Amino acid sequence: MKVEAWARIPQLLVYGLVSGSILSLGGIGVSLTYSILGFSNFAHGDVMALGAYLALALLPLMSAAGISSHPLGSLSFGLDFVAALVLASIGTCVVVLVLDRLLFRRLRGAGRITLMIASVGVALGLRNVVQFFWGPQPRYYSAKIQLATVIPGLGVRIKPDQIFIVAVAIGLAVLLHLFLRYAKMGKAMRATADNASLARVTGINTERVIAWTWIIGSSLAAAAGILIGIENKFVTPELGWQMLLPIFAAVILGGFGNPYGAVVGGIVVGVSEEVSTAFISTAYKPAVAFGILILMLLARPSGLLGRRG
Amino acid sequence: MSLLSVREVESGYGDMQVLYGIDLDVEAGQIITIIGPNGAGKSTLLKTIFGLLKPTKGRIEFEGREITGLSADRIVRLGLAYVPQVENVFPSLTVRENLEMGVFIGGRVSRARLDRICELFPSLITRQRMRVGKMSGGERQMVAMGRALMLDPSLLMLDEPSAALAPNLTATIFERIIAINRTGTAILIVEQNAKESLRVSHRGCVLAAGLKCFEDSGPAILANEDIGRLYLGGE
Repeated sequence: MKVEAWARIPQLLVYGLVSGSILSLGGIGVSLTYSILGFSNFAHGDVMALGAYLALALLPLMSAAGISSHPLGSLSFGLDFVAALVLASIGTCVVVLVLDRLLFRRLRGAGRITLMIASVGVALGLRNVVQFFWGPQPRYYSAKIQLATVIPGLGVRIKPDQIFIVAVAIGLAVLLHLFLRYAKMGKAMRATADNASLARVTGINTERVIAWTWIIGSSLAAAAGILIGIENKFVTPELGWQMLLPIFAAVILGGFGNPYGAVVGGIVVGVSEEVSTAFISTAYKPAVAFGILILMLLARPSGLLGRRG
Repeated sequence: MSLLSVREVESGYGDMQVLYGIDLDVEAGQIITIIGPNGAGKSTLLKTIFGLLKPTKGRIEFEGREITGLSADRIVRLGLAYVPQVENVFPSLTVRENLEMGVFIGGRVSRARLDRICELFPSLITRQRMRVGKMSGGERQMVAMGRALMLDPSLLMLDEPSAALAPNLTATIFERIIAINRTGTAILIVEQNAKESLRVSHRGCVLAAGLKCFEDSGPAILANEDIGRLYLGGE
């Protein structure tokens, strides 16, 4: 093995941490939807893309509203972008709640396969809506070039935007943990994930729990989509679809239905994909996620943090 | 007026009818046991009363108010609680969190109520932070009953509370049932362990093939030779 390949690993670990943070945010939503609504939501990637494009659309409105576009510190974007991020997440929640009311609520109890196929339909629909309004070409968040800074002592380079991405992902994951652990609705979500029929018997309003599941999952998906835009500087309508395989690999690796597992799985898949590029062509990055997915299903189908049996 | 009144109820699963014209009354403060062979419709009756199955015919009233066909989450608000036979706890939640779920619709957890539950089930006091999935069957049953009691219901329905428990734990569960009843809560039990259950019951009722065939006081049913031979494993 070439020595220079090993020398690149610390730097690749940093890149992996950045992409893993985004995968973790995406994976949390897939995991919550599976554990509470009982199906694999293939529309999740396109919900991420919708969030990313809503932020893009809201950005000029933020500037028009007088919110500063002056870059925040060393970041490549200003307060207007942060405001667009928050509003785009809220907008994405609204769209997803409407989709639940119009489609998924009618299919409750119809079975996992029916719901999964419906989610594929929603995915195609959302992607085409995005393409209809914003076109198939890449749309740029920022044309500014940002220089990476060297982390003293470690000798690895990282951009301020990448630090922002990791910080936002950690912050949101901690907030979610506090919500699930201490909030009444968070505990009800865990209870419903354990046993939905017992939750109803206990008097828990499971429709409210489902609404909160969509709200949390879609807002984190929107945030993940926007963070991809920040990292890549551009977004495309296929952004979410391309992320779906590594996200599902992360969720299966961590343990399907376990949001904490999704966080761990996201980091492992992100790091594995990036580190693999030291030894194989970057073109095979998706194959690494696929390989992890297959290996995990063969070796431990319940995942790292999933319940056995 | 009965606390619970079931009149000519018919119910089942899809096209499969299980209950045929069931009448049942539960008076305030009483313990009633429903016994019968497997497939008699005992659990189906509890599920129908609690709104988990919609009756095809008949009327159910609780405290004078019709609850026929109401959803479970609305019925629980009226003061009727139900503990299913299996999967009756949230395994990934702690004991304390399971109890908190019992008051989900009622606002905050009352310290006094929590103390009352711990008085009834002292073994739970030191295990508040323990995940219920790690507990034994008997302890889980106590958590399930504790959760159902958090809203201080007027009627508690228990589906096979001693199923799959060791004999010493079965005795403990029935002791707790008596203690709960002494606080004024009426209890409707469906039980395979019929002798033990009838001993603590004010009245008993025999269900067979979806029909109510007999009803009398607990001691009278225990003394009935025909019922003993048919349903209580007697000679």
